[in-house]
Formats: sequence, structure tokens, C-alpha cells
Amino acid sequence: MDPVSWLLALGSFTVFVLLVGHLVVALVFIIPTWRICTRAGFSGALSLFHLVPVIGLFIVMGILAFSTWPAGESGPRR
Amino acid sequence: MFGVEIAALTGLFGLTGAFALVGTVLAAWMAWRIVEKAGLPGWTGMGAILVTLTGIGTIVPLVLLWVFAFMRWPRDEPAAAAGGGFTTPHRPAPATGPVALGAPPMALPDARGWRLAGTLGNGGTVSLAIEATSGTYMLTGAATGGPTDLCVPDPSVGQPHARLLLSGRRIGLEDLGTPGGTFIDGARLLPEHGPRDISAVHSVRLGTVELLLARA
Repeated sequence: MDPVSWLLALGSFTVFVLLVGHLVVALVFIIPTWRICTRAGFSGALSLFHLVPVIGLFIVMGILAFSTWPAGESGPRR
Repeated sequence: MFGVEIAALTGLFGLTGAFALVGTVLAAWMAWRIVEKAGLPGWTGMGAILVTLTGIGTIVPLVLLWVFAFMRWPRDEPAAAAGGGFTTPHRPAPATGPVALGAPPMALPDARGWRLAGTLGNGGTVSLAIEATSGTYMLTGAATGGPTDLCVPDPSVGQPHARLLLSGRRIGLEDLGTPGGTFIDGARLLPEHGPRDISAVHSVRLGTVELLLARA
């Protein structure tokens, strides 16, 4: 195997591992967030924003934090 | 010799750290709001995010996220267990949003016929039942024997006086220009108005005879 092929293979493998790792980590976030979004009255698919690297978490949290929950929300601390 | 590189690296780490700090504070604020909507005290959400600043790492907030997702939320508890017998709805339907109110069920067609009933000038009564769902009827003061004649025997009613038109669940009225006049809920109907839908009308007056429209 010549070095170029070797490097290409290594790079492809690295990208693949990173991608799968990202998906697995995102899934760990998506599963609970899917349930939270559903209970809040949104579509569970909203949690798929976690697939967006770095800022996905902030998008989902922002939507949940600054919207009115369709399924009703508890008022400020009673 | 490496002064510039060290300064650049320090700057980079400082910038990253600043972004991380801003992000953490933002996340903490949003977490406060989210758990409050679920009915929990806001500091629990903020605290869950802020523990990432400590040495515990990120696994604890992750576990707390799962706990929050699957725990019972105070929002879903009945408002007050004091009222025995029945519970009041805890969550009023929001004014807007996808689950506010479902569409009403489609209205069933009203298959009943129509009835025109009233008192004549001489003290008698008249009651005309119209069962058909299509066709034309003549309102007349003196019956000529036709199958579509509806007789209102009163001197003020013309011969014929007006035309009733039926189409499906609707009923229409057309004046034929007699001197007594035709009135729909008190408003004069002229021949040039043509047929008017009187399905939702309360009363029709032919000359001096007031007829109340109802479903038979």
C-alpha cells in the first residue's frame, strides 16, 4: 500500500468515526429532548436540531425557553 | 522567541473560554425558563447547567436532562386535590396553537320541511306545510286547484301573490308585484329584487297576513 492510499484510508476512517460518534452523542441528547418537546406540545422532530454541531443545543433550548408551550405551561414559580 | 505564538495561543484559549462562558450562562438562563414552564423551580435547571463549570464534567447535566425528560412534571399535577368529587381542568386550552380547538363536526343536513303559519284578517288561521326539497310553489289568495298552490285566503293577498322556491335545504321567496306587498322580517320585497333566500328568516308578511316560517 502506497502512503497516499494509506493516508486517504486513514482520513476516511477518521471522518467516518467522527460522524458516527457525532450521531451517537446527538442521539443521547435527542432522545430526552424528543420527549420534552412532545410534552411541551411541539413536534418531537424539533429535537433533531441537536444534529447541528455546536449551536443545535442552543436552538432547541431557545425555542423551548422563549416560546409559549402549546400543551400549556406552569406559571412562574407559585 | 515564541512570545508571539504564546500570546496568540493565550488569546485563542481566552476567546474560546469567553465563548464557552457566554454559552454556559445563556444555556443556564434558558434552562431556568424551561424547567419553570414544566413547573419546577428555576434554579434546578440553572444549577444543572452550571455544574458543568465545576469539575464534575458534562455527564451530570446529561443525566439530569434524561431525568427531567422522563420525570413527572408539576405542571401535569391536578391543580388542587381539595375539591372532592370532580377536578377542574388544570390546563386551559391556549388561545392559539395547534391543539387549541379541534374543528367542529360537520353539520348534518337538515332534512325537515318548512312550515308557514299565521293568522288571517278574519280571525282564522292558516298553516302551510312544504315537504318538497325542490320546486316552485305559488302563494295565492284563492286556490286555482293547481298542485303547487299554497292558499292564504285573505283579501289582502294577491292571486297569485308570491312565489316560493325550494332548492335543497334552502327556501326562497319572490314577490309577484301585488298591491298588498310582500315583507321579509318587516322589510319590503319588491319584484325587481328577484328571489330572496329566506331560510334564516323569522317571518314573512303577505299583505296584512303575518306568516311565521319554521321547520316542519
